[in-house]
Amino acid sequence: MRSKSISNKQKIFSWLEGLGLLAWGTLLLKYSFTGQYKLLIHPNYFSLVLGSGIVLIILGTIKVKSILNNKLQKNSEHISLFPPGLGSSLLLLVAIAGLIIPPKILTSQTALKRGVGDLPLTTIQPQAFRTATKPEERSLIEWIRTINAYPEPDAYSGQPANITGFVLHLPELPDNYIMLSRFVITCCAVDAYPIGIPVKLDASRSNYPVDSWLTVEGIAIAETLPVKDRIETNAITEKRSVVIEAKAIETIPTPADPYSYR
Amino acid sequence: MNQLHDAFTLFLSLLVEAMPFLLLGVLLSSGLLFLISEKQLIAKLPKNPLLGSIVGSCIGFLFPVCECGNVPVARRLLLARVPPSVAISFLLAAPTINPIVIWSTWIAFGDRPSIVIFRVLFSSAIATIVGCVFSIQPDTRELLQTSFAKRMKPIVDVKLDRSPLLQSGTFLLGQGKPIPFDDSLSVGVQSDNASNLKTKWQLFFTNLLQEFSELGGMLIFGSAIAAIIQVFVPREIILGLGHDTITSIVAMMLLAAIVSICSTVDSFFALSFASTFTSGSLLAFLVFGPTIDIKSIGLMASIFKPKIIIYIFTLVAQLTFIFTLAYSYFLG
Repeated sequence: MRSKSISNKQKIFSWLEGLGLLAWGTLLLKYSFTGQYKLLIHPNYFSLVLGSGIVLIILGTIKVKSILNNKLQKNSEHISLFPPGLGSSLLLLVAIAGLIIPPKILTSQTALKRGVGDLPLTTIQPQAFRTATKPEERSLIEWIRTINAYPEPDAYSGQPANITGFVLHLPELPDNYIMLSRFVITCCAVDAYPIGIPVKLDASRSNYPVDSWLTVEGIAIAETLPVKDRIETNAITEKRSVVIEAKAIETIPTPADPYSYR
Repeated sequence: MNQLHDAFTLFLSLLVEAMPFLLLGVLLSSGLLFLISEKQLIAKLPKNPLLGSIVGSCIGFLFPVCECGNVPVARRLLLARVPPSVAISFLLAAPTINPIVIWSTWIAFGDRPSIVIFRVLFSSAIATIVGCVFSIQPDTRELLQTSFAKRMKPIVDVKLDRSPLLQSGTFLLGQGKPIPFDDSLSVGVQSDNASNLKTKWQLFFTNLLQEFSELGGMLIFGSAIAAIIQVFVPREIILGLGHDTITSIVAMMLLAAIVSICSTVDSFFALSFASTFTSGSLLAFLVFGPTIDIKSIGLMASIFKPKIIIYIFTLVAQLTFIFTLAYSYFLG
């Protein structure tokens, strides 16, 4: 009797292991094929995710097959912190949760929490100042990079701009300004940090609700704006900044790849 | 609810980024158990303590194992009469000085190459120094757990016999003296070389799955903690801790001790603190983390005397602190 119950337990653990592998393989493949991986990681690592998905499916299939053929070898005990089966149960549960709940796009709430504006101090790396790019072809992140490399607002005055991002209302800015923002991902969503450039509207920003996506066409001007230091002191200082004066604004649906990557 | 969903997304993003490396890590560590001849390796080890420590800290390149795998291998080295300096250096360095860990660190911190470089440099320096310190004690048994030293009968070995690399060989119980490592007893690989490829494959497969489930469970645990801290702990608190040179290093070292995340993927964990914590403290996490975690202490307690374990960790913690502090002042 006793030996039977042990072997049943073994069997349950084996099933958990096998299903966990299959579920993770399915989850990774799902992310790969639906493009949802872009919400989680830098697209450079797409092939790693796809490859792992395939390997996990293969391993899971071998495992399940060996259970079905009743060819279970005795599971030798392994020194572990977890009671047996806990690791594989966790893996299985999380994979199922991942299959049910889709990843969410980070929003303004996170942006405010992480401090929008300049690139975080620690991630500033000198970028080449590329005058070759036409200003109207620069994306939002390219504008920020260029300004970081050559931070003289007046140098940009009069340059045409055409940028896309989501709306952020910063309380310290006057009512006719929005922050057009985007998250930048270095490796995965965990390190996403928001960048943004102020856009001057000719009316109140209440027409453009927070988190809606806009394509803004306009002209760069230099203006002195209040800037809140969200990193250290929370103090508001006046700072001369590059501002885009909007000429035409178009509301667009949330793009499939809402993040910028570096 | 919104915040919970945010946390879940970050949690998933950590997992999806880390999973390929975890898989690669367990594939290689399970595979190499069968490919590398430990006996030949031992024969080639230098006798000089300093050289021995340096070599010991580099063996990780041949055994790409993280914390979970290095203790059994280190124990085997000690049993094979490898000087403790080599074994201890190996124990401390192997989880960091190996190709997969270096690669994943590079992916996480490629935009700050100094973190990758100094992670390797500091880890090998600390492993070598601690190894040298213990080489002063000539009698290995002073360091080892009494029962382990007396009979040189590894306590935990019974459970680990499954892996051919980790077989204990035969020892005469109660004789007080181990039988020297012997060719025929050594590594199972030779004996079943031709005979049973299938068994070998089965062993490989079982080991692979077990390590994957266990480390995967650990990874889920660690990622959950990272996501929760990022979303739910007020930013002021984190910034307050993370912007001061000294408190940030201490905080990250504490976190490293609590979160037993596998070294193959711990750089992604550290990444979630990248914008709020100083580079020096991230480095402290990456250097200190792999040497210490609850699981490895449990395993080490089966080899070393408790006093020795305390000495090792105190030394490692102090060295990590001093090195990363120096890094913060001169380079951070």
